[in-house]
Amino acid sequence: MRALRMLSSSVGTKVILAFTGLSLFGFLLVHLYGNLLAFLGPATYNEHAHALISNPLIIPAEIGLLALFLIHVFKATANYLNNRGARPDGYRMKKWAGGASRKSVGSSTMIWTGLATLLFVAVHLKTFKYGAVYTSVGAGGTEERDLYRLFVEVFQQPVWVISYVVSMILVGLHLRHGISSSMQSLGIMPDTRTALVLRTGLVLAVVIAGLFAILPVVVFFGLVR
Amino acid sequence: MKIHLKVWRQAGPTAHGQFVNYTAENVSPHMSFLEMLDVVNEGLIRKGQEAIAFDSDCREGICGTCGFMVSGIPHGPEPHTTVCQLHMRKFKDGDALTLEPWRSKGFPVLRDLIVDRSAFDRIIQAGGYTSVNTGGAQDANAILIGRDTAEAAMDSAACIGCGACVAACKNASAALFTSAKITHLSLLPQGQVERGTRVLNMVERMDMEGFGSCSNEGECEAVCPKGISLRNIATMNREYWKAILSS
Repeated sequence: MRALRMLSSSVGTKVILAFTGLSLFGFLLVHLYGNLLAFLGPATYNEHAHALISNPLIIPAEIGLLALFLIHVFKATANYLNNRGARPDGYRMKKWAGGASRKSVGSSTMIWTGLATLLFVAVHLKTFKYGAVYTSVGAGGTEERDLYRLFVEVFQQPVWVISYVVSMILVGLHLRHGISSSMQSLGIMPDTRTALVLRTGLVLAVVIAGLFAILPVVVFFGLVR
Repeated sequence: MKIHLKVWRQAGPTAHGQFVNYTAENVSPHMSFLEMLDVVNEGLIRKGQEAIAFDSDCREGICGTCGFMVSGIPHGPEPHTTVCQLHMRKFKDGDALTLEPWRSKGFPVLRDLIVDRSAFDRIIQAGGYTSVNTGGAQDANAILIGRDTAEAAMDSAACIGCGACVAACKNASAALFTSAKITHLSLLPQGQVERGTRVLNMVERMDMEGFGSCSNEGECEAVCPKGISLRNIATMNREYWKAILSS
């Protein structure tokens, strides 16, 4: 009971946000691995998807992922509203301090890039997970979902390509602050390597968002078909 | 030098405040910012007007009493400098400056540029102390503390509690102040007895006072006159979840 009350504190909230955020980041890496298999052709891509879908652990994993996601969204929104209440009468003039400050466009827009990601995830699930089901025959002769066909069909439409690239820029901005910030919130930011962690967070955000965004583009231009 | 000032004037905690324009004439570049305001106030008093209220005490940058926003930055544009140690030579003739009090739910405005920072005192009372045996003073060298530890503890203890961190933070968070006190005591052998309860109680008090949470942006560190590092906040967070897991 005491621990529950503590975790609703400002510091506890940030610890939870960092933990759930980092876990979701881990999921993104797994997801990205699956996406990149598209470069190896339909068979590899579909085989990977089939292996995931047919695994009995997929349902508990999805429930866990959903829980992490909902906790992250709920705590972040509550935190944002609480923080706004901490300065009811705002400054008439306020500037960024510069110097040692880590403030960035990413850090200033976390709630908005986060809510945009929430919207994106809803549309994304509707489009793919709960989208058109094509089937094909896999390597072992078993029938499996042809996710690759759906993937190529969707990204032949410019509106999807543009909205996905924009979404990935927003996700990238979120990661740009989120990755390194979570180290700080969890208190595991190393004292002597802070600059390295901050830089690594930035590089990871750019690389990951970039790799996610590149797939719709290559499909659209027929480089992957 | 001539300096144009736009100063927040507010007669009392519940009064409606507004900006009033003043011009400081014949400002010497050797004056501190507060001395410049003293001169403006003398002029106001001569004219039978109410002087601009602002806090100050030591005027040496070590007591933490002074502080207000100078054109959108706590303590003004000079890093690692309190507004009492900010000199007019850092400004140009004809500069226009906006002076505002710290703004935060935890720091209600009392008058003009003065805010009530007793919330910080209550955070300290919640756990920023150590228990010691009374009686004859112990030999100063009886407690061994490594040099690096002593230096790190002193870096945190350098916080003067001025409130610039709260003022700069977009969430009006008191995390830098609170974490500096927690880190300081957690590093030293004298602070071990209350180590776990200290962090829990001080964070609880910090939240009760209406301060927001930390977004790890480090605007606080950038404006801190003592250069208190954001790593104090990382330490506080670590101490916090460790205390929860062991409670």
